[in-house]
Amino acid sequence: MVTITIGEFTRVEGNGEADIIIENGEVKEVKLKIVEGPRFFELLTLGRYYYDVPDLEARICAICYLSHSVASVLGIERAFNVEVPREVMLLRELGLLGEFLESHALHLYLLVAPDVFGYPDAIKMASKHGELVKEGLSIKAFGNYIREVIGGREIHGINVKPGGFGRYPTIEELEKIEQNSEALLRFAKRAVNVFADLKFYGAKAEHFVATNSYLYGDKLIACDEEVFDYYEHIEEKTLPYSFAKQSKYKGDIFMVGALPRVMLKSEQLTPLAKKLFEDHREKLSQGYVSLNNLAQAIELVYALEKAKEIARELLDKGLSCENVPVEVQEGEGIGYVEAPRGVLIHHYKIDSKGNISYSNIITPTALNHAIMELSLYEEAKKNYGSLDEKTFVQRLEETVRAFDPCISCSVHLVKL
Amino acid sequence: MLKLGVFELTDCGGCALNILFLYEKLFDIIKFYEIKEFHMASSFKEHDHLDVAIITGTVSCQRDLELLKRVRNNSNYVIALGTCATHGDVQGSVEGSIREKLEKVYGSRANPMKALDSKPIVEYVAVDYALPGCPYDKDEVYQVLMDIAKGVEPPKKDYPVCIECKLNEYECVLIKRGIPCLGPITLGGCNAICVKSKVGCIGCRGPLPKEANPASEFEILKELGYDEEYIRKKFKTFARGELRW
Repeated sequence: MVTITIGEFTRVEGNGEADIIIENGEVKEVKLKIVEGPRFFELLTLGRYYYDVPDLEARICAICYLSHSVASVLGIERAFNVEVPREVMLLRELGLLGEFLESHALHLYLLVAPDVFGYPDAIKMASKHGELVKEGLSIKAFGNYIREVIGGREIHGINVKPGGFGRYPTIEELEKIEQNSEALLRFAKRAVNVFADLKFYGAKAEHFVATNSYLYGDKLIACDEEVFDYYEHIEEKTLPYSFAKQSKYKGDIFMVGALPRVMLKSEQLTPLAKKLFEDHREKLSQGYVSLNNLAQAIELVYALEKAKEIARELLDKGLSCENVPVEVQEGEGIGYVEAPRGVLIHHYKIDSKGNISYSNIITPTALNHAIMELSLYEEAKKNYGSLDEKTFVQRLEETVRAFDPCISCSVHLVKL
Repeated sequence: MLKLGVFELTDCGGCALNILFLYEKLFDIIKFYEIKEFHMASSFKEHDHLDVAIITGTVSCQRDLELLKRVRNNSNYVIALGTCATHGDVQGSVEGSIREKLEKVYGSRANPMKALDSKPIVEYVAVDYALPGCPYDKDEVYQVLMDIAKGVEPPKKDYPVCIECKLNEYECVLIKRGIPCLGPITLGGCNAICVKSKVGCIGCRGPLPKEANPASEFEILKELGYDEEYIRKKFKTFARGELRW
């Protein structure tokens, strides 16, 4: 028996490794290992006053901190039966769109594009493809601008609160968001072309799971048309070789992320994004996980179109800037959000004093752990022996990268 | 050219990411530094002696500790970047021993992956510069790297968040609105950005060295009606038990 170890995946967020176990000249098993230490977020928030909790949960991950704050706020509001007005929800959506732009642009332009053009990183790629890198950086910077306006800071702002916001955006900020969304759209369209020709690799996803609305939801949906709460059909198990857990949907391996979103919710896409989706529908429905990159590029278009639409609606109606009063009561609530890399779940029980008595967080990278491992296995099986070791390892790294994995998220740890 | 490495232990990824958020200023940095390792950004890796090493995150497992020691031994100048590295941040404040925590979360005291209680890197090795913040302000790390490149020892900040809050002429949320704000006892450098959002400082840069007066902050919060347990938890969120009174 031989084991090939891929030490520390590069160009992903966090620290992960894989063991490829070879027996009699064949790939027998692949173990995807999350090697970052556990941070015990569920224990951290136990006993904490609800108001401070979204700020703490944001620290699970920097790339998608707003997804964590919004999921946390939604869970808390549902526990207290708080209904916020459309204005507040639209602003939260705007924040989540900013996060899509920031996160997808980082992943596509800085992390995946070097694979497409054959460079070790985007800085070295910039000498030949400087325009593309600059276009990516400008989308990313704009996404961060939205995160700063809505979230309070590029990383770990604390402006999103149960019942509303600390500070509401100004007219000028909304106008700037509207204008930039329009201006950047042509870059995003170009990205769809760049990532449309990616090779098929990784496993073929048989099951997709997403939230019922495009950016968040009160239920999950799956490709078999099931509408459900996570604990009804998603089961988790711990692994002896990894700090993250593995999940199955009704006993099967499934996928969350941009590809599942566009496949399950294409009717919610904005006009141009919908057209681009239709152009590539046949390809995307093949289900190979590498197509997640193309789906993300389509979502860049969606996020820009949608951000513009929301900014315009808010400008037309005017902002009332009023928070809803939050009355503390004993309760239980779940927040479902589509983080850039897929479904994110925050589940809380809160006691009569407003302190957290139970918390369970399930992140997209934990949900995708099983299909990432399967993808590595299939890709390794296909290529072992035919590629030299360096190219072989490279191909496996590209496969993991397609999931845009966020390893920090996956080891925040899930409570049993 | 100075040789630079960026190393992540256990954290949210934000401190490494914030370096990428420098955008065009990154190109200024690479005029002075050759990046030898930065796994979030590049597949390029060269194990080498480094002039400057940036380390983010807490030591939370055996792997972190081994990496930390290797980097310290191979580097002239080590920067502990972010509150995880300097004070332990939120994961450092989770109470209980590692085995108890593993049992609560995984249902077993077994520890096959060799997890450790999260601690800041400054507990294990000496560092040459500590820049806290969850995250730090990205211009700060730019300035520190530029100072080092010019052979200047980067200055250390020593004033509270309140100074920057006043300079921005924000309304005091603690006194005027009764919102718990840790600005008076927290190290500045963030430009009071959370008070700009009209919410109180949560202390993400760790306690103000030397001159902080947590006892007085404690009394103010108690007078505002917050219970002691609440205040105690708020004080220790980012800096474990460092704030004493």
